[in-house]
Amino acid sequence: MLVLGKVALGLGATLAMCTAYVFHEGVIRVDVDEHHRGGEHVHFWVPATTVSAGMRLARLAPQHPLEQAAEQVKPYLPVLRTLAKELQKYPDAEFIDVTDPEQHVHIATVNGKLQIDVSGDDETVHVQVPVETLMDVADRFEDAARSAREEDWRVGHAKHSAVFDSE
Amino acid sequence: MNLSIRGFLKSAALLALAACALAPVAGLARAATDTDQWIHIRVTSKDAKGEVVRINVPIELAAKVLPAINKDQLHDGKVRIDSAHMEDVDLRVILDAVRTAKDGEYVTVQSNENNVRVSKSNGVLYIYVTDKEHAKKAAKEDAAKGAKASEAVETKVEIKVPMKVVDALFSAGKDELDLVAALRALSAHGDTELVTVKDAENDVHIWIDSKNTAE
Repeated sequence: MLVLGKVALGLGATLAMCTAYVFHEGVIRVDVDEHHRGGEHVHFWVPATTVSAGMRLARLAPQHPLEQAAEQVKPYLPVLRTLAKELQKYPDAEFIDVTDPEQHVHIATVNGKLQIDVSGDDETVHVQVPVETLMDVADRFEDAARSAREEDWRVGHAKHSAVFDSE
Repeated sequence: MNLSIRGFLKSAALLALAACALAPVAGLARAATDTDQWIHIRVTSKDAKGEVVRINVPIELAAKVLPAINKDQLHDGKVRIDSAHMEDVDLRVILDAVRTAKDGEYVTVQSNENNVRVSKSNGVLYIYVTDKEHAKKAAKEDAAKGAKASEAVETKVEIKVPMKVVDALFSAGKDELDLVAALRALSAHGDTELVTVKDAENDVHIWIDSKNTAE
């Protein structure tokens, strides 16, 4: 009985630690409601850690989709990184608010999360992303871009060596 | 029983330790202080839709992000001015003359089209422009359409710039404006009104204070 109790406690502790780790970066929340007939309603939330983990897994894919994406977003990575780093200093602030009769756009940070709300006649969109996740995304893209560069260098070096050896 | 309680306490202590270790780093990040300066931009449209745009940006954030943007004329937080558009006007010399001159009114133009007034007082440059031409054009258009003449509204522009900010702006070198240096100088200057534009279509208001929300 005592052993079972210890095992249960061990499992419980492991589960609690895993849960704490998965949620330590917070949750990404997306709500989309289309107000027309047959409109879609999308509501989901995912632990922010899964984005980082997902991007790590994507690097293992044979077509290297993350490396390709990293090449495209490379010019914007310094801005994303700096913005994410600086936004951490403003955990509760309003940045942009646009109001007109058709829609209302609001961009702010709330409790350390970047919150984008768009309320219109046609649809309502609410997105909430922990600022820290933006840093992670920038990190993962930078890693991918770096490894793509290293791979290019390796391929180029191998070709050069082959030519040199044949001569 | 005692053993299981001790085990439970050990696990609880372990959990508490883990929770502390894994607490969100964001919460520990340095929060902005109340003394941080913010640039506020508010644009209010006067048309029937009544669109309102409010933008609030911490100066520190803008000063850090701007150097990361390298596009077109903007590089390392500096904007390259196309010297071809300067029409042989040496802005640096003019500004130097304004800086070293005593406080007073430097330019006063009063005409049927515009009123322009440029003055300096206590290290702050003031520029007031009233454009009457726009109101006249609107009145002519109303007359051409046969519509009842709408209330003629002149365009009024009021710009207030601390000279230290102007100095910082032109500190980069020839043909360049140092936006980051200007932002830092603005931040050091404290709460101030910068630009007010009022015309028939919009009201634009740009100012700096330490509040993180628009008025």
